[in-house]
Amino acid sequence: MARHVIWSGTVSFSLVAIPVQVVRAVESGRVSFRMLHNKDYSPLTRRMFCPKEELIVPPDEIVRGYEIGPDRYILITDEELESVSPERSLTIEIIEFIDIEEVDLIYYDHPYYLVPAKGGEKAYRLLVEVMHRTNKAGLAKFVLGEREYLVAVKSTEGGLVLITLHYSDEILPDEDIFPKEEEIAAEEQSRIKGSINKMLADFNPEQYADARREKIMAFLKKKVKEKVMVQAPEEEKAVGEGPADLIAALEESMRKVKEDR
Amino acid sequence: MSQKVIEIAGKRLPLSNLEKDLYPSYGFTKAHILEYYRRVAEFILPHLQDRALTFKRYPEGVERDFFFEKRCPSHRPAWAKTAEITRDNGERMTVCLVNDLETLMWVENLASLELHVPLARAGSPATPDSVVFDLDPGEPANMLDCARVALILRDLLIPLQLTSYVKTSGQKGLHVFVPLNRKETTFEDTKEFSKAVAEIMQKNYPDLVTAKMAKEYRKAKVFINWSQNDSSSTMICVYSLRARSKPYVSFPLAWRELENLAGQGDPEKLQVIHSEAVRRAEKQGDLFREVLVKKQQLPHL
Repeated sequence: MARHVIWSGTVSFSLVAIPVQVVRAVESGRVSFRMLHNKDYSPLTRRMFCPKEELIVPPDEIVRGYEIGPDRYILITDEELESVSPERSLTIEIIEFIDIEEVDLIYYDHPYYLVPAKGGEKAYRLLVEVMHRTNKAGLAKFVLGEREYLVAVKSTEGGLVLITLHYSDEILPDEDIFPKEEEIAAEEQSRIKGSINKMLADFNPEQYADARREKIMAFLKKKVKEKVMVQAPEEEKAVGEGPADLIAALEESMRKVKEDR
Repeated sequence: MSQKVIEIAGKRLPLSNLEKDLYPSYGFTKAHILEYYRRVAEFILPHLQDRALTFKRYPEGVERDFFFEKRCPSHRPAWAKTAEITRDNGERMTVCLVNDLETLMWVENLASLELHVPLARAGSPATPDSVVFDLDPGEPANMLDCARVALILRDLLIPLQLTSYVKTSGQKGLHVFVPLNRKETTFEDTKEFSKAVAEIMQKNYPDLVTAKMAKEYRKAKVFINWSQNDSSSTMICVYSLRARSKPYVSFPLAWRELENLAGQGDPEKLQVIHSEAVRRAEKQGDLFREVLVKKQQLPHL
């Protein structure tokens, strides 16, 4: 199945370099809705609004500010931001191998699949096999989008996953929120242990599902069947790929102008 | 008569008749005019740069006769830059290029209150840098009607990926510029485009707009003079003074400002006088700067 490739490059360590691609591993289960105008069901878009002037602000009047206090900002331009942004990674360079069980789940941020690119299948399978047998994961630094991530590359059934990890300074301190350690009576401990043991099971995530989502989807399916549908006005074609000649383009543009007035 | 010799960039320039009032009903002497142009020089010079200047001289002031001069006068200083151009009838002509402050001061000393330049530079006379829509109100239509037309034009051009810029003419109209800055574009293209736009405006706003030159069609309407997109035409340069009873300026406006002013219902508020022009240009910089550099392509031509 072809999936959108988020990144492609190589995974490497010592003398090994395997061509790979990063693809999505999970998808949010949220049911998303489009916001529509109730007059004609045109889909709505977001705009930046200035509450002071009560105006929509065009993109060329928008600048970026870092808030340093109430109503006080430091301005930063795209160029300045660019100049301090990390370079896009060409490789996922594994710095060290660790025991994946040592990584507390709290560090797990977002999972991706790491799949072999053309010519890398054999070496990829070898790496999967070895990592699976030794239960080790590779730690690497990796730039995706505009951020540099700490990532773990670990084996899963038949392949590799890449998990972006939180940096340790992103983890909030827990000292004040957990209760202090206290002596606990032995019989109390064994009572709890007993209760847990009685409830032990294998992890079977497919037993569980988001009940609200299922209800919404079932409801929507029913509505689709009943054909209670509304339709947005026909979308204006983008100029350039639309009408072949100037007059037609102007007519179309004029129609838009008159609609907006 | 007063004489004064100034020196700019090592070049000596005698100035004459400085106290002569060239806007008598307002009171604005040649000294005031020179001072105005000196202060807006940094803003106007890039727009005059390398363009054949047409002088519009008012030696006896705005209430008396004026004359056009396209040739660079033979009594010009040795340092004044010129270009050789060929007119449509094949005739060769030497023209002035106002590329520096000293030339601008010399030109103003000749009482050329208005500075008119073509849409193309002297070195590439067949390549207009912009499309222009010259909005001219036929009475009793006024500048507010022009503002309405200009705002519709702006919105009409946006879906065609064309950003436009507006300035006052300094008289009764507005000029909408669409920068192109592409050497591939010809006056044939810009004329065809501006004519098509003017005609669709007329078709959709028949009570407000006419695309016809003939006077009888222009009454109470805004005439979109698309024929200005021609190699032989000139336009009043942005920041130039106009020879009216008061020294109004052809001045760039932000679109939002035009929207606000259009809503206020007073056409006079759209006029920018010399002192306001200096103050605003110094504060906000050149709102017409993009007209000189922004690269845009006319669609479907």
